[in-house]
Amino acid sequence: MSIPKLEFPPFHLPAEAEALRGEVRSFLKETLPTVKSEDRFASWNTFSPEFSKALGKKGWIGITWPKQYGGSERSFLDRYVITEELLGNSAPAGAHWVADRQSGPLLLRFGSEEQRQAILPRITAGECYFSIGMSEPDSGSDLASVRTRAEPVPGGFRVNGTKVWTSGAHRNNYCIALVRTSGQHGDRHKGLSQLLVDLKTPGVTIRPIINLAGRHDWNEVTFTDAFIPESCLIGNEGDGWLQVTSELAFERSGPERFMQNFYILRELVRVLGRQPAKRASSILGRLIARLWTLRQMSVAVAGMMQGGKSPAIEAALVKDLGTIYQQDLPEIARAIAESDATTEEDLADFLDVAQYATMMAPSYTIQGGTTQVLRGIVARGLGLR
Amino acid sequence: MDRETRDMLLETADRFFTERCGRAVVNDVEKGVWPADLWKEIEEMGLPLIAVPEDKNGAGGTLADMLALLRLAGSHAVPVPLAETSLANLLIAAAGSEPRPGPATLALGNLTLSGGRVSGKIERVPFASVADRFVTVVGSTLAVVAAANARIDDTPSHAGEPYGTVSFDNAAAEFSGASPVSADRAYELAAVMRAMQMAGAADKVLATAVEYCKQRVQFGRPISTFQAIQHMLAELASYVAATIASAEAAARDADEGGLVDGGRFSIAAAKSQASDFAQRIAAISHQSMGAMGFTHEHILHHYTRRLWVWRRDFGSETFWGDKIGAAYAKAGPEALWASLSASKYAA
Repeated sequence: MSIPKLEFPPFHLPAEAEALRGEVRSFLKETLPTVKSEDRFASWNTFSPEFSKALGKKGWIGITWPKQYGGSERSFLDRYVITEELLGNSAPAGAHWVADRQSGPLLLRFGSEEQRQAILPRITAGECYFSIGMSEPDSGSDLASVRTRAEPVPGGFRVNGTKVWTSGAHRNNYCIALVRTSGQHGDRHKGLSQLLVDLKTPGVTIRPIINLAGRHDWNEVTFTDAFIPESCLIGNEGDGWLQVTSELAFERSGPERFMQNFYILRELVRVLGRQPAKRASSILGRLIARLWTLRQMSVAVAGMMQGGKSPAIEAALVKDLGTIYQQDLPEIARAIAESDATTEEDLADFLDVAQYATMMAPSYTIQGGTTQVLRGIVARGLGLR
Repeated sequence: MDRETRDMLLETADRFFTERCGRAVVNDVEKGVWPADLWKEIEEMGLPLIAVPEDKNGAGGTLADMLALLRLAGSHAVPVPLAETSLANLLIAAAGSEPRPGPATLALGNLTLSGGRVSGKIERVPFASVADRFVTVVGSTLAVVAAANARIDDTPSHAGEPYGTVSFDNAAAEFSGASPVSADRAYELAAVMRAMQMAGAADKVLATAVEYCKQRVQFGRPISTFQAIQHMLAELASYVAATIASAEAAARDADEGGLVDGGRFSIAAAKSQASDFAQRIAAISHQSMGAMGFTHEHILHHYTRRLWVWRRDFGSETFWGDKIGAAYAKAGPEALWASLSASKYAA
């Protein structure tokens, strides 16, 4: 039988990364007590320039980037540890998240020297924040169908179109927009480019899109004859698709795919008390075991990437399993809390928190590639299509 | 053994299992036929002695080497107690004795040992009726009891393997000695052994279902081209991946941390995980293969039924979940992340 073997070779994070973990923990121990608990629950959705700047001061944003751009030239695995510590301790890390994970690395790889010098040091300082401008009203999972058009004009582009679900656009500095710079709608992957858009540009209008939990994270970003200078084209004209697909790979297998609502597990431990009955402890233990497994898988993928491999199928599997875990967690936790909480008061607090987690849960299997898109990738990997 | 030697051994064993552990052999075991020739050849290859030191006539491999072999055996539904005998032999050697040939099994649980005599009853002992001897650890003493000194009531497993209830009534041990591996630890080692066999079986289930769906034509095309089937198999792959990843991580931690107490939490988590997803793996694979996979004729059940049995062996997800949950509750919420990220019961 000739199907590709699924392998997750166990991997140890190196000693330097573990040493860094200790430093990050002490920093968070000092910093977090002053943060409001609802901001901690929202963790990577919480916009806190104050926290991001403090983290930047420690050198923990863009830690893998070259020193000339404010980075520390440390390994991808050091970054991994920082990410999981932020989530494991429910830090309000939303402001710099996308810039650190995705936009900065994109500029580093494809951007011009001028763009790198202008932007990257500000990201690492924790004071420059990014939005992702990929989705549109008619382009969700099918990104190649984007309609936003950037028409070449002297000195740059005139941009018209609409982006949606643009997280943080109302408070971030930049958006990286996937636009059509040549050819026709229907040319699919050809003729797409990415532009570095200053969100203060005249002709760029930002309107809130409120999500079902009542939060304003998303926006609609409309371009009306907005002029974007040529110097803001990222890489070569027509390379947008290549950039976007490599960018999405950064997104898939990190700890944010299974630890976004880690606080639920922690609060569950709190509410069950020190000696839960066997039924409750066994369900709690199974939840912990599943999370541990996801972490082993994610670390294994990180190890493979560090070794120069590109485990796309394995990464997709981590996101598929991890996001579904995050949906299972509040439901299972709620059920055992209701039967086994130690006090009525603790239970009431917990159910409030769990309710919030339940409302956020549908987003996990949508953002960064829906479950269905991921399963398509895995199916291709299994040789089914 | 070095990586190259292990890979060579696994390759040889893979070919051997493919040739000699076909459907007929597995089905015969279910009918009560002991495949004496198969066992003899397995012994001639030295497989049950893989983790026994060379000075005790073993192959000098590590626990990790043994577990890698047993994952492979799991992917062939090898219907003899290779896993149980390998671990029993490792335990015997660790207690300072030299393992003897013949199939052995593990009688782990609530037994008493006094003056070299064993008493008590253990249910669901794998391969009880075909084993020459039973190996147990009571407190910190290992004892080996010949089959002739035990009473065995057959209770074949739902996978058709000769499990049984084993009773010892002041049974003389043919060997007893101080064991560096405690009774609880022996149970953990048996759990990681089963988790690795489950990883092998899960892998085989995925390969079987994928292959079948690529061949099976309905509505004029292979059913693998239907998106509904593709998504089912991708979901199946995610559960199989979790089973493999957790078992491999536990095997690594058990090996690196040492025979006496390495990877205690990882083993608990891996066996909980493997047992937790066994049903999902069985359910999706059967659904994707329709009536064909539900027949006795097809080999799918050799693996799905073993998954259902193995998830109970040496601690189910409820058993190991309780170990983890109780320890984490005791340590409290602020210790949760530190413990989990260190793969420990409590940091």
